[in-house]
Amino acid sequence: MRPFDRWAVGLTVPAVLLTTLFYVLPIAQVLVLSVTEPAPGLANYEQLLGSRAVARVVMTTLEVSLWTTALTIAASYVVAYALVQMRPSVRRVALFMVLVPFWISVLVRAFSWITILRREGLVNLAVTGLGIVDEPLQLVHNRTGVIIGMVHYMMPFAVLLIYANLAGIDRRIMQAGRSLGARPMTVFWKLWVPLSAPGIAVATLFVFIFSLGFLITPTLLGAGRTVMVAEYISVQITNTLRWGVATGLSTMLLVAVGFVVFIAMRQPALRAAFSGRQG
Amino acid sequence: MSAPALHAAPRRRESTPLGRAVAKVFAVGLPWLLLGFLFLPVLVLVPVALTDREYLSLPEHGLSLQHFASLTEWETGWLPSMMTSLVIAAIATVVSVSAAAAYALGAWALTGWWPSLTRVMLLAPLIVPPIIYAVGIFKLWARFSMIDTYPGVIIVHVVLCLPFAILAIGASLAQLDPRLIQAARSLGARPPTVFYKVILPNVTPGIAAGAVFAFVTSWDEITVTLFITSRAVETLPRRIFTGIADSVDPALAAISAVLLAVTLLALAARTFWFDRSQSP
Repeated sequence: MRPFDRWAVGLTVPAVLLTTLFYVLPIAQVLVLSVTEPAPGLANYEQLLGSRAVARVVMTTLEVSLWTTALTIAASYVVAYALVQMRPSVRRVALFMVLVPFWISVLVRAFSWITILRREGLVNLAVTGLGIVDEPLQLVHNRTGVIIGMVHYMMPFAVLLIYANLAGIDRRIMQAGRSLGARPMTVFWKLWVPLSAPGIAVATLFVFIFSLGFLITPTLLGAGRTVMVAEYISVQITNTLRWGVATGLSTMLLVAVGFVVFIAMRQPALRAAFSGRQG
Repeated sequence: MSAPALHAAPRRRESTPLGRAVAKVFAVGLPWLLLGFLFLPVLVLVPVALTDREYLSLPEHGLSLQHFASLTEWETGWLPSMMTSLVIAAIATVVSVSAAAAYALGAWALTGWWPSLTRVMLLAPLIVPPIIYAVGIFKLWARFSMIDTYPGVIIVHVVLCLPFAILAIGASLAQLDPRLIQAARSLGARPPTVFYKVILPNVTPGIAAGAVFAFVTSWDEITVTLFITSRAVETLPRRIFTGIADSVDPALAAISAVLLAVTLLALAARTFWFDRSQSP
């Protein structure tokens, strides 16, 4: 090895050491514990697969994650598409409205949604005040609240990812389509949407993966009534101390995320998106 | 004659004026409605923080700063937890940005399996759900009596800040011409000189951006911190989390409004002042 390369490798060592000792090792330990705690073997997984409670939690997680992903991507595409069409001065305002929630703590946002959605919250104040409904609506501490909070958390990410992709599309393609007689709808569905497939794919992947393992928003907005996998794991550790269940479920979550990434990377659109970003 | 065909093909369009008006409202109204949805929680915080009542509500008789005043009292715990977060975020930023800068420089100069393997490892926290890491580090720290200690929290924050810092510095390096190294070396610069005197000064914008990302990541970190702290090390997010889970105290709205004000100022400066002076 040349001295220069030795120096370069040496420079990478502190970060690699930190991550190996304090990130990779603890996670490896989770995987190991799932087959050794309390006794060696696959008992934890048998218990997890046979448990009604776990099945319900997994179903809730999947349903909430799928709803969150679908709503987030649809809404984000609308916003991102509008952003590309805006005049720069208007766009600056609109981007500001995306970036402020992006940078604000997940806790502050969850708290704000509670004040808006709870029984005596702003929405119920408005709809009962206007006489639209007699009884206050149950908007938080249930699945609706969790999905609203999660969509709100994910949207800024998705908007920025899709917007970056849309802004990079050569607009002369659309001009060509229009001049060849395509109607606006045709231009949108046959040109904009296929050309933005990589952006949509990346955003979908990230939103879905984040949703699967999300702890804070479901815990605060679900208030124990809509329990997703992350919250269930956290309860196993802090309350019931069932380490076998917690590590087994963590391992399954890790495998699920790995599987989603693996499947996603087989799609040409995603590979293009990632290789495009690298180069 | 100019080319009208570029803009539209009117004869083919079948929609009625009403249909077009509806489409227009939809195309303009819907995005702004969704932007309103994004911004609504931000707007709501301000009046709720200024309420004159003792509980979480909109102001009834007038505005009051009482909940902001309660933040400044040391006993309420808000100031101590802010200090805790500030100290942890500052140390975590310095350590993670130094390690990230060294890593990014080294990996940029290398080829082969080492940089690609370690890169995947270092960026893993961006993809792997934090709850899994929380389980693992909780177990590890329990074994070494590191639960609820400053070093325990700082190490975790450093690890979680690393990927953001590496990405920011890497983005800066990507714009650097690799021939710079060859030039420096052919002129006889020794390796440390190449790294510290030639490459490093060229990536200061990336390091600054990485520091901002790292600081915000540590300042906001809650999922893992929740598991590895209890009383002795109470960060601001932890204090807010307990506050929301226990009660809905208007002081939460006040602290949220403070955090919001800082974010707004920083962003407003960036979007309306910095961007304008940069873009033509």
